[in-house]
Amino acid sequence: MHPAVYKVGLQYLSGDISGGNARCIAMLQAFQEVVKDYSTPPEKTLNRDMAAKISSCVSFLRECRPLSVSMGNAIRFVKNRIAKLPMTLSESEAKAALKSDIERFINEKIIGADTVIVKHAVTKIRDGDVLLTYGSPTAVEMVLLHAHELGKKFRVLVVDSRPKLQGQLLLRRLIKRGINCAYTHINAISYIMHQVTKVFLGASSVFSNGTVYSRVGTACVAMVATAFRVPVLVCCEAYKFHERVILDYSICSSNELGDPNAISKVHGREDINYFDGLTNNANLKFLNLMYDATPSDYISMIITDYGMVPPTSVPVIVREYQKEHLL
Amino acid sequence: MPDVQSTVVEFVNKLRKRKIEGSQATAKCTVELLRSVISHQRVPHANQAAALIDAVKAVGEQLVAANPVELAVGNVVRRVLHIIREEDLSLTTAAMGGLDLLDASDDDDVDNCKGIGYPAMSAAVVAAAARSTLRPPSLQTLLEGTPESATVPYTSSSGADSESKTADKSSLTRKLKHDVIEGVNQLIHEIAGCHEQIAEQAIEHIHQNEVILTLGSSRTVLEFLCAAKEKKRSFRVFVAEGAPRYQGHLLAKELVARGLQTTVITDSAVFAMISRVNMVIIGAHAVMANGGVIGPVGVNMAALAAQKHAVPFVVLAGSHKLCPLYPHNPEVLLNELRSPSELLDFGEFSDCLDFGAGSGSLQVVNPTFDYVPPNLVSLFITDTGGHNPSYMYRLIADYYSADDLVM
Repeated sequence: MHPAVYKVGLQYLSGDISGGNARCIAMLQAFQEVVKDYSTPPEKTLNRDMAAKISSCVSFLRECRPLSVSMGNAIRFVKNRIAKLPMTLSESEAKAALKSDIERFINEKIIGADTVIVKHAVTKIRDGDVLLTYGSPTAVEMVLLHAHELGKKFRVLVVDSRPKLQGQLLLRRLIKRGINCAYTHINAISYIMHQVTKVFLGASSVFSNGTVYSRVGTACVAMVATAFRVPVLVCCEAYKFHERVILDYSICSSNELGDPNAISKVHGREDINYFDGLTNNANLKFLNLMYDATPSDYISMIITDYGMVPPTSVPVIVREYQKEHLL
Repeated sequence: MPDVQSTVVEFVNKLRKRKIEGSQATAKCTVELLRSVISHQRVPHANQAAALIDAVKAVGEQLVAANPVELAVGNVVRRVLHIIREEDLSLTTAAMGGLDLLDASDDDDVDNCKGIGYPAMSAAVVAAAARSTLRPPSLQTLLEGTPESATVPYTSSSGADSESKTADKSSLTRKLKHDVIEGVNQLIHEIAGCHEQIAEQAIEHIHQNEVILTLGSSRTVLEFLCAAKEKKRSFRVFVAEGAPRYQGHLLAKELVARGLQTTVITDSAVFAMISRVNMVIIGAHAVMANGGVIGPVGVNMAALAAQKHAVPFVVLAGSHKLCPLYPHNPEVLLNELRSPSELLDFGEFSDCLDFGAGSGSLQVVNPTFDYVPPNLVSLFITDTGGHNPSYMYRLIADYYSADDLVM
């Protein structure tokens, strides 16, 4: 195993790298290292052997943490590129071509896409808006910071949920930049939704029936927002789209499960210790879902690098996009 | 009297400092306090009901003002006032019955003479008023055809006729207080026993192999689920943990101790799990007259999710939680904001809390309650049985008299 892959895998495991984009970029950069240090063993072809090598890296990463849909798409892209490498290229040329392809994917599909999303989304923020966001989505954070730099006057409500409490990190960064914020837990969502003018959410993936697969709780936020007639805008790079369809919003079969002990212990609240000595009880279980799926009727608009589209247009983008990157 | 006054002050302080919370506990304390107020209240010979009502009202106003969000306190005060009015009325009608027999000759002209100040006459009017206002309309009262003018305030008239029949009234005075205290005792009994009454109905609603979702920590819900478990129903309970108070942890612990299969989920997973759930059961903090529910924070989210997946949303409420008021903007006006320290460590964010140095301001929102509109509720289960949200106003009308709605 290449040390770069090993390092990234352990960072996934410890939670040092989290968030769809960060994980994907870290993985692709590790692959670049793998490609750089690669030399074709005798009596093997570069295309086949390197694909096998990447596959073994992927299965190691999957052991560390289940892959996100976006990572699956990126892996598909890399493997496609390897398979399409012309046989006429020398080893060093092939490696250089592959590295630059991966570099291009990171720059265009992830970093570039975010810039475009920010450009689009900022047009939707007006003076006096009260924006609500949930968790700590990177794309939304960039949108908010950019809008603030443009001098727009708005307030941000950061909604958070246990056990990760990632919203606190976002909250800290926003306040540092001088944005007025309010903070609450997801339970209080109905209390604060009256004030909200727009909801900005991030997504781990968008499926082709318009379902948004994201951090658990996103569906609750979108549902309450819809009940209060507040528009829900989802910021998601197009490389995270997937042609899968799902109807089951708990997706128990493919959902990632977090550490159950994270629920029984409340960090920083020593008075909440009801489960001390009960954790081995056969009747007591803890379920720590990581993701949920938001039905497309709760989504007003998806902001992608291809523009602002309704959720019904997702399959079109999936088709166009897939054609483009398979070429 | 002074010792009663001091217990009132003590209880008011407890309410104000939120040392005592929860509708069950506050209702129980309130009714016991009112009982001692009534038993210590010296009643004059004339107009004893009015004196009792004034005393109870005076104490009730203080209690309600101490914690306006704890609606059970106001409910119980109104219930006690209703008991006083009813007992007074039934005594007057009973006395009237006795008069009817004594002055049978005088009563001949009652129907054509509507004189004021004629003692027997005014008592008859009171009786008629009693029939038309308090008793449910029956065929008999309709056929009797009591005139509309009969509905005069009876407290004044009972005072009027007490002047002439003082001998009768001296025994009545003692009897009224005795009867009222008897009624209040019944109310205490009812509040204490509402769990069992509600739990008895569990078997009709929870079926084999079902999955129940609940949130918040409610003794009523606990007893309800355990009653079904005792009847050999096997089912699974999902408990949302209810951050930042984590009352779900408390409920889960008690459920596990009683041997129920319990799974604790995060609050954010409510929507994800609702499609796996057969029924949502919650305990109300208060039920408003329009059928809306004040419940633990997060309840509205669960109710919306339940509606989306057509999962029945069942609310358990003892009769002391039925509030005769109609809510206006209840999310804000009938809510209470708690300390931000439950959400954020002051130490961690202390640098962000100063409003200078170009950093943004931070506001932390930590409400206690949530409002569920009546259209999201499938069923109310009270100690008198199951009811639709649209029926709650009528049920509530049985428990309170219209004069006490505004205190």
